[in-house]
Amino acid sequence: MSTLAADTAAPGLALPPLVKEISQRKIDVYSGVKPYSIHTDEAWARKKGFRAPLAQAMMSTAYVSELMTRFVGAGFVKGGTMSMVFIKPVYVGDRLTVHGVVKERRAEGNATTRVVVEVWCENQDGDKTAVGTASGLLAGGAA
Amino acid sequence: MEQFRPLSYDALQVGETFVSDTKLVTPEDVEAYAYAVDDHHPWFSEDSPFGGPIAHPTLLANQALHLRHSKYIVRAGLHAKMEFEFLEPIRPGVRARSRGTVIDKYERRGKPYMVTEYVTEAEDGTVLVRGRFTQMLFRD
Repeated sequence: MSTLAADTAAPGLALPPLVKEISQRKIDVYSGVKPYSIHTDEAWARKKGFRAPLAQAMMSTAYVSELMTRFVGAGFVKGGTMSMVFIKPVYVGDRLTVHGVVKERRAEGNATTRVVVEVWCENQDGDKTAVGTASGLLAGGAA
Repeated sequence: MEQFRPLSYDALQVGETFVSDTKLVTPEDVEAYAYAVDDHHPWFSEDSPFGGPIAHPTLLANQALHLRHSKYIVRAGLHAKMEFEFLEPIRPGVRARSRGTVIDKYERRGKPYMVTEYVTEAEDGTVLVRGRFTQMLFRD
């Protein structure tokens, strides 16, 4: 089950962006509170050279997963891929916007099409914090 | 009994393997993850195309990322790259574990990195997710 948008999406189509507010409580739940953690121990984060606790970079992969599950549907949950590079820290209090633009559609086997999306997260200052690609499978082999 | 030691670039060996503990994925885990990443898609709490609720595809990513903690004391590190192939949905009730192998270590611009290839599988051997990740090591 994929979305109508994914079934017909052509390269260049921009996906509806997601906005994520990064709170310490969400980081705590994601990472687990512990000492000597740059995510949940503010003093330790500062000692390691950061101005505040950092969100785990992996949280951005969850945001991209949400973007892709909403776009592609089941063909991302089973058959999807993601490749991300984390280029800037995400701090507590940041507001991230998660973007995707369809990059490619290609036949994969006789009965499926893989849709590849360029994805990135940017903070409230417009700085990219993570970049990469994600893909999912659609029923139908005609790319 | 494991003998833990501080993680360092020199101590780490390419070819070294890690295995996580087995984790039972509970509905509460899925609920907590949904809160943490603010993703409340109905497939995670109601029905899905796979029959019954599923978990977020990235739910077990930290199990893989923390593999090195099964042998080393890791005070801090930065995650540089992450790759996933989502092969099967993760369902509440599954018992899953991750296995990993250090496939490379290198220094770039004076900073040490390690690359781990991993697989996360269900107790019956079904591969749920596989991929690789790159982590930067902090020097003390």
